[in-house]
Amino acid sequence: MSNVVYLMSSLPSLTFGQKPPISLSDFKEDAKKQLSAKHFKMLERVDVQGNNGQVDKSFLKNVNTLLKEVYQDLSEIREARKQNRQANLIRLSLIAIAGNPLQREKQIMKYLWEELESIESGKTFSMTEVMVYKLKLQILSRMNSFNAKLGAEVLTSIVNPSKKGEVQ
Amino acid sequence: MAGVKIKYTKTERARQKKILKVSERMLPLFEAMEKSLMASVNTISERIDQIKEQIEKNRKAAEAWLAVMSDSWVEIDDFISVKEINTKPIDVAGVRVQQFESVDFKVMPVSEDTPLWVDDAIHLMQDQLQLLAEINCLEDQIHLLEEELLDVRARVKLFENRRIPNAKMAIRKIGQKLQDDERLTIATAKVVKTSNQKEVCI
Repeated sequence: MSNVVYLMSSLPSLTFGQKPPISLSDFKEDAKKQLSAKHFKMLERVDVQGNNGQVDKSFLKNVNTLLKEVYQDLSEIREARKQNRQANLIRLSLIAIAGNPLQREKQIMKYLWEELESIESGKTFSMTEVMVYKLKLQILSRMNSFNAKLGAEVLTSIVNPSKKGEVQ
Repeated sequence: MAGVKIKYTKTERARQKKILKVSERMLPLFEAMEKSLMASVNTISERIDQIKEQIEKNRKAAEAWLAVMSDSWVEIDDFISVKEINTKPIDVAGVRVQQFESVDFKVMPVSEDTPLWVDDAIHLMQDQLQLLAEINCLEDQIHLLEEELLDVRARVKLFENRRIPNAKMAIRKIGQKLQDDERLTIATAKVVKTSNQKEVCI
């Protein structure tokens, strides 16, 4: 417990939309130093991209349910597009998936962020808080990877490989 | 014509007249072919410009969300690649070229946890790759048409500057020579006749 308190006190606070104040690898390194092997293994298993395996801890159950339902919503959106109908969503609101693809990803990430905050609420200095911290950091790292110039380069490299690197 | 020996015979004159007749008949055909090829090249160039505008339009429409394509969670180039470009042979201004039909893509199926933007990106890339494939096809067409155009232009020049003037000159020269020969023959005959008459008188 004291290790979790020490770890959480030493980590910078996270705000949605900010540049990650700490890298994921630095966070993992700090966590590995402070947490027990069992807790660190638990932390390693949690991932915002889903596939958190078979879990028995209530926190992981909550996160898995959240992610599973969000991904089910993504599948439903895809199906609805194919069938040209309105999507019946479990988690995401239609407003959250409006806008261009970039805005949509940000809105989905914001939704996940808010849900994670509600999961960790009242669980200060617990493993839940540590795991939510990791998930939030993953969200920030992902959002920080969105870059107009790099994105344009990626597109150019695929549709016109000969012009790779010519993007202004 | 320089260096070419002309046979000053009626047969040769008939042959040169035939060459002139055929050349004068062929020249307008080659000129028409040249115009047709040039028009086709211009039409194809305009189509290429239109497609380039469309590509730029698509890119600008996507500009607001291109940032998401550098998503650290996704390697978008794993999702789509060109499998085959389908074309069909057609004749453009008498030249056999390949006309763009469609592109077959190899698209990886998206899993449940694949971000939604991947669908939009695949759609955008399909559009752009298809348009670029059409441009490549049209550029190949232009290349073939320009090769043919060079050939036709060379033929037009050959007829305009060599065959027709040479044939005309040959006909004129042979005509003059034959006329001179005829005059000489008549004059000789007259001289012979006069000398014969003088001999008879004596």
